[in-house]
Amino acid sequence: MTPVPYFDVLKGLGAEVILTLTALVALTLDLASVRRAEMSVRSRTIGTTAVVGLLASTLPLWQQLNGPRMVLLGGTLAMDDLIIFFKLVIVALAVITVLISMDFDVGRHVGEYYAVLLFGAVGMMLLISAEELITIFVALELTSVSLYILTAFHKGELRSQEAAVKYFMFGAISSAFLLFGLSYVFGVTGATGLQAIQDAVKNTGGLAMSPLLATGLLFTIVGFGFKVAVVPFHLWAPDAYEGAPTPVTAYIATGSKVASFFILLKVLFIGFAGLQGSAFWGNFASGWTMLLAVTATLSMILGNCAAIVQHNVKRLLAYSSIAQAGYIFIGLVAATKMGANSVLFYIIVYALANLGAFGVVAALSSRAGGDEMQNFDGMARRAPFLSLLMLIFVLSLAGIPPLGGFFGKFYLFASAVQRDAQHFGLLWLVILGIVMSAVSLYYYLILLKHIYVIDGSDQSPIITPTYLNVALGLVALAVVALGVYPKPILELLNNFSYSVIAGLVR
Amino acid sequence: MYDILFWFFSIAMLVCGLLVIANRNPVASALFLVLLFVFLAGLFVLLEAFFIAAIQVLVYAGAIMVLFLFVIMLLDIKASERRKFRALGVVGGIAVAVAFVWELVIILTRPLKPLATGGDELSGGLEQVVKPLFANYMLPFEVTALLLLVAMIGVVLLSKRELK
Repeated sequence: MTPVPYFDVLKGLGAEVILTLTALVALTLDLASVRRAEMSVRSRTIGTTAVVGLLASTLPLWQQLNGPRMVLLGGTLAMDDLIIFFKLVIVALAVITVLISMDFDVGRHVGEYYAVLLFGAVGMMLLISAEELITIFVALELTSVSLYILTAFHKGELRSQEAAVKYFMFGAISSAFLLFGLSYVFGVTGATGLQAIQDAVKNTGGLAMSPLLATGLLFTIVGFGFKVAVVPFHLWAPDAYEGAPTPVTAYIATGSKVASFFILLKVLFIGFAGLQGSAFWGNFASGWTMLLAVTATLSMILGNCAAIVQHNVKRLLAYSSIAQAGYIFIGLVAATKMGANSVLFYIIVYALANLGAFGVVAALSSRAGGDEMQNFDGMARRAPFLSLLMLIFVLSLAGIPPLGGFFGKFYLFASAVQRDAQHFGLLWLVILGIVMSAVSLYYYLILLKHIYVIDGSDQSPIITPTYLNVALGLVALAVVALGVYPKPILELLNNFSYSVIAGLVR
Repeated sequence: MYDILFWFFSIAMLVCGLLVIANRNPVASALFLVLLFVFLAGLFVLLEAFFIAAIQVLVYAGAIMVLFLFVIMLLDIKASERRKFRALGVVGGIAVAVAFVWELVIILTRPLKPLATGGDELSGGLEQVVKPLFANYMLPFEVTALLLLVAMIGVVLLSKRELK
């Protein structure tokens, strides 16, 4: 037996270790020194500690950048530039979430709030670097459990409690599905490492030979479908998004989505490479692209149509993110290198725009007295800067040029069209995506109408702290930059993603 | 002999599983679950996974079920009332069940390949369990500790009564 490379593992986990320690420090600091202080002081102190810890955790990541690809312990910990890049994205999202939270009333348990938030970030980072089923499951659970707790943080509010219970129930059942599916995959292939599964799948002869593998694949996708909230596994999302404290909603909708999509991409493109089947029009074959095409269709239609009738901004954004997940699935259905790149690009753009939108909602709704549409009437006069940012985020989600969302969507659709280009096999999905994007414009514009056109009864200006304005401004800047000049990041992804899709046929 | 025992344990397990769901008295349900775990342990013994069999009895049948029973007794749950069935639920449930049976039939009628792992790895003493735990699967094992910590924070936080 070869010796276990404990030291390499520890080095590879530098960022996670720092974050865990910061979370423990945040817990103790709150308990030991600032418990008696005023709420705002406590929130500031612990929040700053969390931000410092998050920034410190990037140091080992920068150091690992440009290193060789390493896979330790049979895939429980993989390291390459793509993984490190996405860990940095998670850190960035977590920092913004902390900054939004510092301006928000999260209840009396400040230390626990930031500690659990950081533990969630640790889960997401472990998820991103995992290429092995057991690690994937445990990291996914760490992320989910942290988010369940954060959702329930408004203990006095019934809405928050209800949302947390729903989220927890759906999450627990989805975990059961996922675990069931993964156990079948393990049973058939005898392996838990994604690369090993890929090799074993080739030996077993794919889906046709092994119905057990088909069952495992189906359940795995159902499990992940719950986590990324696509129709028909979306039922928890609107309630959880609405009921959770808004910074937490932002965190659920961005950080956990990025990590879940990233790991779904890896499971499908590495582990299940060779099982993709076909979703080409008139040429369907069973496999995961077919399953994803169906869920993508349902998500785009139901997500967009249901969003139209919403009166609550957070619910509207929840349905919009269900629809967005549908768009992202189009890139996965393409199952090419370009498809993978477009998915990776789009989840970054989507996460930034969504984080920004929820950030603005968090900052404004706590001062305007609610997160219904009416509360945002005339917001352009009361808080012109944040309203402008909201305009940018919402239009990016809608996919208006020159913002990041437009380019991301364009790239997703292009990757699907290019696949099987002679027969336009995936054109049906792309046409549906474009039509539904047009539908989505309607409800995004209704939200903007409330902010910009309708006059509210309250005209008093809303003042928000500078650090929050700067942070959200930077996010908006990134959204614009990704749309105007996406080349560097695309080149970066193009160089990176070799490792992820090396196993994919074609 | 092996076959007889296998069928005995399997059928006994299924019967116990049915009784867990069908019983209206929660305490009886829980006790049938204990019985189910014992039979499951029997299956593990047949697979020569003695360590897992022992752990199954100790942890599940012993510790976890006792906890279950405590909760049931503390909450003082009465036998549940006869529930009204909703048409949609019944139809949906039957549809899902039929789909499952259909799928099972498809799967079971096809020739199944033997598992890729082969037979000799089925023997499971302490060594086979512990070696992977501290080598290849060390990381998820450690992360589980973190998961438990987070869960603990959550439980304390959410169950604590707020002081005014």
